[in-house]
Amino acid sequence: MKLLVTGAGGFLGRHVVAAAVARGHQVRAMLRPATRSVPAGWPEHSAVEVVYGDLRAPRGLEPMLVGVDAIVHLAAAKAGDLYEQFGGTVLATENLLSLLPGSDVKRLVVTGSFSVYEYLRHRAWSALDESSPLAVNPFDRDEYCQTKLAQEQLVLERASSDGFTCVVLRPGVIYGRDNLWTARLGMQAGTRWWLRTGTFAPLPLTYVENCAEAVVLAAEYDGPERSLILNVVDDQTPSQRAYLKELQRRINPRPRVVPIPWTLMRLLARLAWLTNRLFFKGTAKVPGLLVPSRLHARCKPLRYSNRAIKAALGWQPRYTWQEGIERSLAASDTTALPPGREKSSP
Amino acid sequence: MTDSDHPDCLEKKRITVDIIGGGKISEQHLGTLRHIEGVSVAGICDLSPVLARFTAERFAVPGWFTDYRKMLEQTGAEVVHVLTPPATHDRIVRDCLAAGCHVIVEKPVALSYPGFQSLWELAQARDLRLIENHNYRFNEPIRRLEQAVAAGRIGRVEEVEVRIALNIRAGGRYADENLPHPSHRLPAGIIHEFITHLAYLLLHFLPDDYGSEIDSIQARWRNHGGGELFKYDDLDVTLLAGTTHGRLRFSCRQWPDNFTVLVRGSDGIATAELFYPCFQLTPRRSVGQHLTPLVNALGGAKALVGSGFGGIWSKIRNRGAYEGLSRFLELTYAALQSGGEAPVTFHQMDATSRLVDRLLAEENRV
Repeated sequence: MKLLVTGAGGFLGRHVVAAAVARGHQVRAMLRPATRSVPAGWPEHSAVEVVYGDLRAPRGLEPMLVGVDAIVHLAAAKAGDLYEQFGGTVLATENLLSLLPGSDVKRLVVTGSFSVYEYLRHRAWSALDESSPLAVNPFDRDEYCQTKLAQEQLVLERASSDGFTCVVLRPGVIYGRDNLWTARLGMQAGTRWWLRTGTFAPLPLTYVENCAEAVVLAAEYDGPERSLILNVVDDQTPSQRAYLKELQRRINPRPRVVPIPWTLMRLLARLAWLTNRLFFKGTAKVPGLLVPSRLHARCKPLRYSNRAIKAALGWQPRYTWQEGIERSLAASDTTALPPGREKSSP
Repeated sequence: MTDSDHPDCLEKKRITVDIIGGGKISEQHLGTLRHIEGVSVAGICDLSPVLARFTAERFAVPGWFTDYRKMLEQTGAEVVHVLTPPATHDRIVRDCLAAGCHVIVEKPVALSYPGFQSLWELAQARDLRLIENHNYRFNEPIRRLEQAVAAGRIGRVEEVEVRIALNIRAGGRYADENLPHPSHRLPAGIIHEFITHLAYLLLHFLPDDYGSEIDSIQARWRNHGGGELFKYDDLDVTLLAGTTHGRLRFSCRQWPDNFTVLVRGSDGIATAELFYPCFQLTPRRSVGQHLTPLVNALGGAKALVGSGFGGIWSKIRNRGAYEGLSRFLELTYAALQSGGEAPVTFHQMDATSRLVDRLLAEENRV
């Protein structure tokens, strides 16, 4: 298959390109125009074609879809204010979707997020899966949740109206090299001090190479469903404490962890919420960890399952979470492409 | 006089409003309009359907559109807020006026003084209001500065300086090389986004209320950081209005960010800082020549400490540098409801637009 991978230069994108090439696909890897360095091995590899474009500007992107069988849409904005994230995630998706009618693309894979679920009203230690309700009051949640929800809604509506197959993957926490910390652990205070909010909450981890394989399998999906939503979590979901202990053991200099009990954080967030309602009519700006809906989204103890994705795609996470950490800290390049033919000169 | 005759009991005229442009500034307008009595937003329009719908849901606006002409037809709005990029203002404002709507428009109304004149004449011909957003004039520190100057606390105004330092070259939407911000294509490049603020604040504190003729303009437009993206990243203007000196500064390369209006008079200095709200007054004191510096230093220290805590308090209360926009819109709608004068007048918009043109004129560049 020929895949167009948007956001190919990103953390997940580089791994997806490697996984797609490893599975024998041709990849058109889309990088942003100002990208200064192309990942090693891409320009010479016969299975990779590098193209440049910014999906926030719709013009001139049509040629990128020529000959493409499926799109893996990873481009998104995680930082900046609501409007920057909306532009980089939702408007970019809207522009991409506007190119689909008239193209040969049959399948679209979009990476959503666990952030789209409702957490505040979800009972602690209950199961969170694809059937769980979505955020009830998204405008109380952070920008990431709002934009990811809007993106998903848009993609699913268009898949239904424009008649292409769409797989929305909602990864839990994707971790890997340079991305070992997650907001679900609490807060980093500098590089040496970590505030751990909670202790026993399972982390819905997916190691980046495992996740990348899931993405490629989704692009290959040829089942009966027109729209598919699948959570991506690895087989094991270690507790916050276990994961941090493993990191502490391997990272030098060893960071210090300050544990803050989940019950205490909930209480503090509740107090902040009450104060906001009583004295500021709910208009005060409070740090995310003190907003109950955001705190619960980050740190509530829940159980996770990957039954649906295994059944639909036959996905089997290759690495355990300890192996994931080990590979993340090792010297070898986890995004290296498998050997292939070199491009012939024109 | 019966209860119903009492002015407080008179029902305010209900006004239907449409918004064109769903970008970042729209959240400030919509957030304020929610709280203005007698105003209801009927529609929001953006070229992007998904942004229009998202904004409508977020602010509980009943209608969303991608074609503003259709929106105006369907909602029957009396007032339209034009919040699109500056290069699109002329066409959209013209259409809104033609549809019989009063227009509140983000700065600058037009990209040139003749453009402004043409739109103003159209508004006049149709007996409609055209009001440019001069929001920073309504921020609390500027109002305190106004009061101090009007009360003669610093004597006769001798010098006015307006300075914005915003490190936008370091990152964010204006520094994005992947998708250059449309404002880079404006006559003053990215500085066009800010130049109206600089101009109206300078004019506001010059004596003679725009009557004095400004001359000896020397405008230094520079691109110190180089590169293709930024046309200019620095502006340094000196000018003379009668005997009053004026200075405008804009820099994309300094830290910390600040937005300061400083007025020097014959009897003192007054400063308003807008990004970290603060007002500071250094007047001539009656405590004698030797004690005056000490008393002024204590007064300055008090203002700075107050501003430090005030800044945190403002953050908690979610009141940023846009606080003046709320007051500007409240006063604008009060004027629309009562038929009174708008808080930003023709003379203020006219003088601002004229000054911006002169800052860009070849003959004034050095």
